[in-house]
Amino acid sequence: MRILLVEDDQMIGEPLLDLLRAEGYAVDWVRDGELADTALQSQSYDLALLDLGLPKRDGLSVLSALRARKQRLPVLIATARDALAQRIEGLDAGADDYVLKPFELDELLARIRALLRRASGRAEPVYEHLGVSINPATHEATVDGRPVSLSAREWAVLEPLLARPGLVLSRQQLEEKLYGWNDEISSNAVEVYVHGLRKKLGADLIQNVRGLGYRVPKQ
Amino acid sequence: MMLQKLKQWFQAAPSLRRRLMLFLLAAVSFAALAQGLSSYRTALQEADEIFDYQMQQTAMAMTGGSYPQGLPQELELVIQAWTPEGLQVFRSGVQLPQRAVLGFTNVEAEGRHYRVLSVQRGGQVLQLAQDLAVRQRLAGRLALRTIMPIAIMLPVLMLVVGWVVSRSLAPVERVRRQLAARAADDLAPVQETGLPVEIRPMVGELNSLLGRVQRSYQAQQHFVADAAHELRSPLTALKLQVQALQRAGDEEGRTLAQTRLAAGIERAGHLVEQLLLLARQEAAGDELQPVALDALLRQVMGEQAAAAHARQIDLGLLRADAGNIRGNGDALALLLRNVLGNAIKYTPVGGKVDVSLLYEGSTLRLRVEDSGPGIAPSERERVFDRFYRSPETQGAGGSGLGLAIVHAVAVRHGASIHLDRSVALGGLQFDLCFTKV
Repeated sequence: MRILLVEDDQMIGEPLLDLLRAEGYAVDWVRDGELADTALQSQSYDLALLDLGLPKRDGLSVLSALRARKQRLPVLIATARDALAQRIEGLDAGADDYVLKPFELDELLARIRALLRRASGRAEPVYEHLGVSINPATHEATVDGRPVSLSAREWAVLEPLLARPGLVLSRQQLEEKLYGWNDEISSNAVEVYVHGLRKKLGADLIQNVRGLGYRVPKQ
Repeated sequence: MMLQKLKQWFQAAPSLRRRLMLFLLAAVSFAALAQGLSSYRTALQEADEIFDYQMQQTAMAMTGGSYPQGLPQELELVIQAWTPEGLQVFRSGVQLPQRAVLGFTNVEAEGRHYRVLSVQRGGQVLQLAQDLAVRQRLAGRLALRTIMPIAIMLPVLMLVVGWVVSRSLAPVERVRRQLAARAADDLAPVQETGLPVEIRPMVGELNSLLGRVQRSYQAQQHFVADAAHELRSPLTALKLQVQALQRAGDEEGRTLAQTRLAAGIERAGHLVEQLLLLARQEAAGDELQPVALDALLRQVMGEQAAAAHARQIDLGLLRADAGNIRGNGDALALLLRNVLGNAIKYTPVGGKVDVSLLYEGSTLRLRVEDSGPGIAPSERERVFDRFYRSPETQGAGGSGLGLAIVHAVAVRHGASIHLDRSVALGGLQFDLCFTKV
């Protein structure tokens, strides 16, 4: 899952970037409103974590422009603006959730998971499909009840595929879930992780659609 | 003893009503007493004249040997008659000493005072005497009759006065009730309409004081709200840095997290320190002493030299006129440190900062110019607001309080600040004008 982190404060952005990456998310970090707007227009994200008090362009303006373009990705506002009117304004401008600084990291992560869950059209917190079950909150995976250990990168490839069974994701789309801007991408990384996943979860779970990409069959 | 107690009672709780009632009571009583005394004296005088005349008439009516029997009882006349040989031939009532002097005299007999009239009638000396108590009784009765209406009216008068005073003081009581019913933070003005003119100026002053307190209270509330808001960011950073430290997988990650955490603590500490400095400057009193600004400037520039050097900034003092101003040395050093620190911080590496201190007529002008980006004219007012960060410098990690502190210190010293574009260096030109001693 790819997340856009919009935060002007370096001391908040740096650890947050690392902590989100440690959770297996591909994260891009921008530090002003203009760059956030550009990134949202040029890249596809699964979620945006948005600060409001930004240099050059206010976060609310970025959010309004995003919704005006009919982009549907979940937006989680994380800000120090705590007044009731500001919280309402933020949600009414198109945000899906609103957390106040200083927030608890675990709560922020849970809210991110909830938003991603809803965005993929589910309510249940655990993915269960064809005998494979994965829990994004605990990062536990089982096959037919038997626990399997997955690396963060394998997780990053599997989760978007399991989130929408039947949907084909291209290699490039999967790469985007794997890497942020500054990460080095090895050309066959997706193939390597899919290979590893097939070994751990069974050869039939992830199907290769030649010339298009990968999918998890619906049934 | 009694007076002292009364005085203590007054001082313990000076009550307008009580005081008014007491003084009025005393004044009316005194007036009644004076009137009674005066009418008593007048009545006595008149009684003297009337009774003397009556005694004369009675004496005239008595011819040798015939003594009046049917005299009015209330006159209480004593009559005695003597022969020229000194033989008493008639006596009614007490024994009076024989008087050779004719006419009216006052004598004392058996402990009482008598008015005595001696006349010669047909070879006899007649003495008519009247107890003076009779006259005094009569005068007393008359005097009492004069005082009586006042005495009867006195309680009524007191009631009326008490009522009028209460009515007059009712607006004061109303103001008291209004104030008593207030919440601690209700500093709205007290209603002045309907107040007596004697009290209105006082309530007016009270309202003006309430207004001043209100403004400073609001300023303080905003300050606290701003401060709480501003502490959110460093707190968020600290929380995340601690989480990152806890979750660091390897030694390298741990070291990085520790470094960041230390920097976060440093920044939070700096913010709190700046907040305290600002609060102190805004609340500071006016203990101002002569301060040699040129010496202070040299000292602070010396302190800042290392920071300038680290950023390869050419920091220089162009001119420093010797000059004293009235001020607080610590506060002025803080001001200089912030102004110079800002110039060094916001001027790009390899830039230049020029400082000068010179007399211009009656003002001493401190000028700091730099080759940095300057401040846009539209922002020159706002940069002195607490926690204001210009969009360009946002994220630079400043507390947003440096210039607010400078402003507070300048206000405290009656100095004016003027921002402009530096002609010589192209960046910001910061002017601070003090009135010299």
